[in-house]
Amino acid sequence: MRDSYKKQLEALHVSLIRMGAFCEEAIANAVKGLLDEDKGLAADVAQTEKDINLMEREIETFCLRLLLREQPVAGDLRQITAAQRIIADMERIGDQALDIAELSAFMVGSPVKSDIRIGDMAQATVKMLSDSVDSFVGSDLAKARSVIEYDDVVDNLFYKVKDELIVLIAKDGKNGGACLDLLMIAKYLERIGDHAANIAEWVEYSVTGNRRRD
Amino acid sequence: MKRSILIFACALTGFSVILTALLIHLAAYWNFSERFKQEAAVELDYLRAAIELAGIEYLESLRPDAFDPRVSLIADDGVVLYDSAGVVSDMENHANRPEVKAAMENGSGESTRFSETMREQTYYLATRLRNGSVLRIAGTTDSVFASLGWMILLTLAIIAAVFCIAAWISTFAARRIVAPINRLNLELPEDNAAYKELSPLLAGIKRQNDRIAAQIAEMRKKQLEFSAVAENMREGLIVLDGEARILSCNQSALNLLHTRPAGFENVLTLRRDEPFRRAVEQALGGASAESMLFAEGRHIQLIANPITDGGEIQGAVLMLLDVTEREDREKLRREFSANVSHELKTPLTAISGYAEILSNGVAKEEDAPRFAKNIYAEAQRLIALVNDIMLLSKLDEGGPELPKERIDLFAQTEDAVQRIQGAAAKRNIDVAFEGESAEIIGIRRVLDEMLQNLLDNAVKYNVDGGFIRVSVVKADDGVTFAVADTGIGIPREDQERVFERFYQTEKSRNKAAGGTGLGLSIVKHGALLHEAKIKLHSAESRGTRIEILFPAAP
Repeated sequence: MRDSYKKQLEALHVSLIRMGAFCEEAIANAVKGLLDEDKGLAADVAQTEKDINLMEREIETFCLRLLLREQPVAGDLRQITAAQRIIADMERIGDQALDIAELSAFMVGSPVKSDIRIGDMAQATVKMLSDSVDSFVGSDLAKARSVIEYDDVVDNLFYKVKDELIVLIAKDGKNGGACLDLLMIAKYLERIGDHAANIAEWVEYSVTGNRRRD
Repeated sequence: MKRSILIFACALTGFSVILTALLIHLAAYWNFSERFKQEAAVELDYLRAAIELAGIEYLESLRPDAFDPRVSLIADDGVVLYDSAGVVSDMENHANRPEVKAAMENGSGESTRFSETMREQTYYLATRLRNGSVLRIAGTTDSVFASLGWMILLTLAIIAAVFCIAAWISTFAARRIVAPINRLNLELPEDNAAYKELSPLLAGIKRQNDRIAAQIAEMRKKQLEFSAVAENMREGLIVLDGEARILSCNQSALNLLHTRPAGFENVLTLRRDEPFRRAVEQALGGASAESMLFAEGRHIQLIANPITDGGEIQGAVLMLLDVTEREDREKLRREFSANVSHELKTPLTAISGYAEILSNGVAKEEDAPRFAKNIYAEAQRLIALVNDIMLLSKLDEGGPELPKERIDLFAQTEDAVQRIQGAAAKRNIDVAFEGESAEIIGIRRVLDEMLQNLLDNAVKYNVDGGFIRVSVVKADDGVTFAVADTGIGIPREDQERVFERFYQTEKSRNKAAGGTGLGLSIVKHGALLHEAKIKLHSAESRGTRIEILFPAAP
């Protein structure tokens, strides 16, 4: 009985790793589609996003069943609670990756993006998400905290991109549409960074039992 | 143990208590009733004697309650004449009572009758008097069943008490019996002196211990062999169970994947990207799979195979190979083919173009010699290129058919210097040659090609009115050939790459000096063939100095 319970907790952990990997792929493909102007990747991202939604529902049901049947306490309870919150964040990441992929399709051929630091910002976001999933995989407290710190880097990049876009619009009004699309993409990236930080916070909670207040 | 002892003790004591009680009771009862009957017979004899003497009046003179047992006198027709227990007239005729009937016929009779509840029994003894009437006495006692009833209650009480005692004793006994068994040292079964009844068991345990020890030793040896092999191989090896948990993982695998094992032992904790997941899932699904992974700038080939046992999938083996070099070589080969085609095509296109103009007759008369000259120059370039490529491919194979011989490097260099004098003089380049005679073991043709290439470069990439210094000197560990020029130099970022095939620096291309891009590559391969070392010092716009250190001839 307890043995199967332990196995179920392990299965929960593995399915979260898998969902995290899907999120990483979704955002990596969305960013690649934006930077390399590869339109075909948008379809991949859409498929991945569907898979992520499906996984969220499955894991949610699984968590509820664990809570009802096993009545976990202490660390196990925290692990399951954290898992429930993490999948919500991951699902949002999937949505935003799809939004980026859809907007990128309109950006093909637009020269604007080479003038701003959207590429840096995208790389920073991908790295942040990757690190936050890593911290979850290994229950790595130090890494989780570094991810939370790193959110400031992504936020600052967002402000820089915003300023650069303002300058671009002021210089030439023709690019206004593309600039606004890029601003949206930057905002989505910034939100993904926030969700990655949330995941890291839930990892911290799962390990220590303390919730951050901010 | 305790339970079975308890049950056994209780059953035994209970059975013996019940049996003993029953037998004692029956014996006592039998004894008692025999005594009762004897006493009744004696009393009847007294009474008969008295009645024979005094008649019925004797009976009537006695107080009725003086009689216990009850006394009756019955006439020969069965009418009751006297009864100590009641009024005679109320009584029915007794002629049919079995004891009376027997007494009338045989002189005496007896019978026992139970009360309605069976709790009591009455013993009747009758005797015939001389006048034919019958004298009967009767005594009532508890029946055998009534007394047994009491007996059973008593017995049950005893049994309950016995059970309590048995429970206590069996606990104690069980503990006592088991204690030495619990103290058995199963590691050394023969050293125990518990019960001799246990010796066969202990001998069996010892045999089993020996077998287990042998098997463990064997397993440990195998494990040691496996981990020695796994830890010392350069390839990564990961063994998974059927649920993708890591059973074993060598250090190379962790190094190749740039990871360390996390607390959770699922393989996805090591890596989770799509190619890796797909290979693992396929292998656990029963099919072999291959994937290319990319980690920290290295190409890693992942080969995943299922482990099956009797058709059932037990797990998977993942093999990780660093194929970066192979990939790089592959890339180099592709580049080389592309370069060769390109380099061959350029002169051919020019030749074809000039030839076409000439054959169409559209060229002016006076241009024809120039075109022919160009065709000749391009054809020479092609020949040079093909020669270089052929030499290079020969060098690639290690130049097996080229003979090694003793060569004076100084004399050889002198020849080569002679050959560039003309070209150098055209551009006012001074050539200085110094050194001493020094012998090395080498391949004359390759060596000549190397020196020629280096000296040609020194001229080609020099500035007009520049300077070339060539030297051959004996060093401690060999012979050093050096050529220094005052030319355009090689930019720092290109210095690593100039020995690659077809690699030319930006400036050398612009100079259109007619290089094939293979010269330094030939030098590099030639040096390898001679086990010589190349040193390159160069500063942009200032010049280049190339040194080759040949091992001295023995």
